[in-house]
Amino acid sequence: MTVTPMAAPAPQTTGAHPRGRGRRSPLASLGLHATLIVASLIAVFPIVWVLLSSFKPGHAVQSSELTLVKEPTLANYSYVLFDTSFPTWMVNSVVIALCTMLIGILMSATTGYALSRFNFPGRRHLLLVFLVTQMFPVAILIVPIYQIMAALGLINTHAALVIAYLTIAVPFCSWMLKGYFDSIPTSLDEAASIDGAGPFATFWKVIMPLARPGIAVTAFYTFLTAWGEVAYASAFMQTDDRFTLAYGMQQFVPQFNAQWEYLTAAAVLVTVPAGLVFLYAQRHLVSGLTAGGTKG
Amino acid sequence: MRRTARGIAVLASAAIALVVTACGNDATEAPTKTDPAALSAELTWWDTSDPANEGPAFKQLITEFNKTYPNVKINYQSVPFGDAQNKFKTAAAAKSGAPDILRAEVAWVPEFASLGYLYNLDGSELLADESDFFATPMSANKFAGKTYGVPQVTDSLALMYNKKIFTEAGITEAPKTWADVKTAAATIKAKTGKDGLFINPGGYFLLPFIYGEGGDLVDTAAKKIVVNSDANVAGIKVAADLVKSGAAVKPPAKDGYGTMMTLFKEQKVAMIINGPWEVNNVRTAPTFGGIENLGVAAVPAGSAKAGAPVGGHNYVLYSGMAQDKAAAAIAFVKFMSSAQSQAFLADKLGVLPTRKSAYEIDSVKNNAIIAAFQPVVAAAVARPWIPEGGQFFTALDVMATEVLVQGKDAKASLDTVADTYKTEVVKDYSAS
Amino acid sequence: MSTATATPPARTSPPPRETPRPGRLRRSWDKHWYAWVMVAPVVIVLAVLIFYPLGRGILLSFTDLTEANQLAEICDRSITGAEVCRPNPNAWQYIGLDNYADVLSGKVGRFWQWLGITLIWTVGCVVFHYALGLGLAVLLNRPIRGRGVYRVLLILPWAVPAFVSAFAWRFMFNEKFGLINSLLEAAGISRVEWFADWKTSLLTAIVANIWLGVPFMMVTLLGGMQTIPTEQYEAAEIDGATAWQRFVNITLPGLRSVSMTVLLLGTIWTFNMFPVIFLVNGGGPAGQTEILVTGAFRSAFEGIRNYSMASTYGVLILSILLVFSVLYRRALRKQGEVW
Repeated sequence: MTVTPMAAPAPQTTGAHPRGRGRRSPLASLGLHATLIVASLIAVFPIVWVLLSSFKPGHAVQSSELTLVKEPTLANYSYVLFDTSFPTWMVNSVVIALCTMLIGILMSATTGYALSRFNFPGRRHLLLVFLVTQMFPVAILIVPIYQIMAALGLINTHAALVIAYLTIAVPFCSWMLKGYFDSIPTSLDEAASIDGAGPFATFWKVIMPLARPGIAVTAFYTFLTAWGEVAYASAFMQTDDRFTLAYGMQQFVPQFNAQWEYLTAAAVLVTVPAGLVFLYAQRHLVSGLTAGGTKG
Repeated sequence: MRRTARGIAVLASAAIALVVTACGNDATEAPTKTDPAALSAELTWWDTSDPANEGPAFKQLITEFNKTYPNVKINYQSVPFGDAQNKFKTAAAAKSGAPDILRAEVAWVPEFASLGYLYNLDGSELLADESDFFATPMSANKFAGKTYGVPQVTDSLALMYNKKIFTEAGITEAPKTWADVKTAAATIKAKTGKDGLFINPGGYFLLPFIYGEGGDLVDTAAKKIVVNSDANVAGIKVAADLVKSGAAVKPPAKDGYGTMMTLFKEQKVAMIINGPWEVNNVRTAPTFGGIENLGVAAVPAGSAKAGAPVGGHNYVLYSGMAQDKAAAAIAFVKFMSSAQSQAFLADKLGVLPTRKSAYEIDSVKNNAIIAAFQPVVAAAVARPWIPEGGQFFTALDVMATEVLVQGKDAKASLDTVADTYKTEVVKDYSAS
Repeated sequence: MSTATATPPARTSPPPRETPRPGRLRRSWDKHWYAWVMVAPVVIVLAVLIFYPLGRGILLSFTDLTEANQLAEICDRSITGAEVCRPNPNAWQYIGLDNYADVLSGKVGRFWQWLGITLIWTVGCVVFHYALGLGLAVLLNRPIRGRGVYRVLLILPWAVPAFVSAFAWRFMFNEKFGLINSLLEAAGISRVEWFADWKTSLLTAIVANIWLGVPFMMVTLLGGMQTIPTEQYEAAEIDGATAWQRFVNITLPGLRSVSMTVLLLGTIWTFNMFPVIFLVNGGGPAGQTEILVTGAFRSAFEGIRNYSMASTYGVLILSILLVFSVLYRRALRKQGEVW
């Protein structure tokens, strides 16, 4: 089951660690699984709490008697799904996250490739510039960014959020992908160049497919940046029909009388699709870059 | 003791019917107005109330409003309270995206008004019967001699107590002073084993102790910082002593508010200092024993008097709203803040009307909790209504945690607050 | 060729440093236009959305501009139609380095205390992020039964919106009703007043943030491991290297480029991590665990917003991180080319 349907490269990668299954002693195997199980438990522990709370009536979520299950109900889910704009927020979030992901991958891949392969003037500065963009705290920048968005007429549009999320995600992803591209032998570029491919064709047809794990990381990162972000969404979005999930959910925790039961139910509904994206994307974390690249 | 739910429903619909007729009358009587249907505009309203529990009642009122004014479209937008202040200011400063009408917390109004973000309402129909509003909630709308809003709801802090625990402990009357509270708490602990009082360690919740000794945060007339006055030190010491002596539960440094409400709802603590916004929450808690079990009294007095801060929300109009929408906006706010609308909200949500005439309406008069809160509100103390008013509480919260949770000296802690006020909040005020 | 990945490979056609000659720009364009085209979209977006505000921020830090004095004149509009405008009595002005003096001398805010907490916070979080992320990535990179399931479970904390997780941790650490204190009590240990002391209070936030951040490190490093050629492992195995030796001699050097990136950016992000401190312990008790960003936010953005003060903090934070980056780069440089 660990051999993912990544077709050709996967078996090679797995085969590359022959010591693994063959030689690992049962004790080592047990230790490995035990460690991973403990780590997984810690990872899902707060999420389980959220999950259990989502089935409780409101008054039982924060209570001096700690219970796993109490008066289980699906009312919270039905409220969130049918009495709020949750489905709209979900659609908005999916659209925004996918747009951020696609544009983000494209932008950071081209940038990362240029940074990795071409020693153009300004290259070093650009890498530093990317760092600087991450250094100035967003909490403080939000007012001027709002004014720019207002000047561009983007307030209360999804484009504003996609652009804002790109500024968060692309610098990191470009750095990341530059590292991946660095590890792809330049001989491949040269070979493509000899075959008559221009720099864009080389990038698209030769390099991109080889950088799959890096692209997968980029995809994770861009998608999740857009998925859980609240500060920009709360500043730029003004009407209920434009809210993203993370921001819309904040409506469940007003100043007084926070409705934890709705928040937790919504959180579960938010985590499930993200988990599915993971399930799909994690396969690409193992790919035949090295095997395919150097042997093929 | 309460009417049946059916009775409430009948009263509520009666209130709505009254509202409709009342507004119809107003519109026809007003000399400058013609047919309400001729008024046409699209208005955006940012409501900061609780969208799940309170939002539906406001939407219901909008529907009623549209029966009279079919061509005024209200875009109701719920905005989380915690966001609304910064969100409004950011949008107003950029002149893009701000709503026409906002439900603003009382302390926001002088701040927004000083920045030029609000229409002043002087000379408009909204202030025609200004004297019908309680003076203290109304005062929060005044800035530099002009009026920038009308009160939507008002609130104040009160002593909320568990009647059953009081009976079990043999206490027949709500304590009137902090000394009485201490005695009552000891009796409760001895007779029932339960805790007497919970003080939320937040600056706002310590104001009754400060007012009780005749103190205040700043003296706006003399432009003086008085937060570390002897009276205030004495008041904060009273609170600290309640915790130290065990009369009040030692509060946690984080989530003190939630802890207070959970303990109160589970009948583990007999008394809390809190406001009418929690009445609904207590009423619906299955562990509390219903509204019949809830007692409400004025906050206990210190050595000088009993006083609690006024809170609440106002309707304000954004100064960037086009002038031609003014008539529609006024009609809407007038409708929403009418005595009948307030009575409807009081009945539905348990919030306190700001108009004297609203308390004459039967559904309000017969509401025991609102009746209990009315003297509390009438005696509420106005806060310093200056633009910096919202900034007083960060430092005060720090003080509350230091004194009540960490056991620091009240005087030293208040001196630090005074320093912060001088260097960061009201720089042109003199230190005491 | 296949083994030359421990350090970034030489780039194609490394040109000598350009010498200033007439027509240099033109030739440079001819030669590098595709590189510039590839980076242009990113540069444009960043220039508009980050660099303009950043430049403005630096400028503002030398003024006393606040929300109240930013307008030259304040207009009061009456609903009845009149509009009265009067000049702002105390309009903003340049005040030189006064803001910096106020902040650094401790007259306003508690800069040095916040900086100290920020350092503890950043080091604590990043070290654990990296160590745990690397450990889990190594385990998950081995062929084991159920690897896909483990991976998804371990990444899951990343999928929950951070503010929900922050609330969840706050609930678990709740002193009276929290799960953690109940478990401690069940185990016969006394309850801990987590938020009453700054050390335990900071610990709650660090624990929550470690939990939030490990999946990111794990995924990134796992991705990085895929760039290590398998031949290296095979060769090492033939030479009889132990698992630890393989880890130290192949995995770690192979991850060098990725590690450098995530450690550097991880540090920068953690330094400026606003929501976790803000939501988990709120900088409490009594503001003792504020980090620089949350402290700056509270002192500049509550009530009348003090833009100049916010910018001053922003510039100070930026400077600290820039110095860190330069030192970091210099340290890495001794071991080979960095960037």
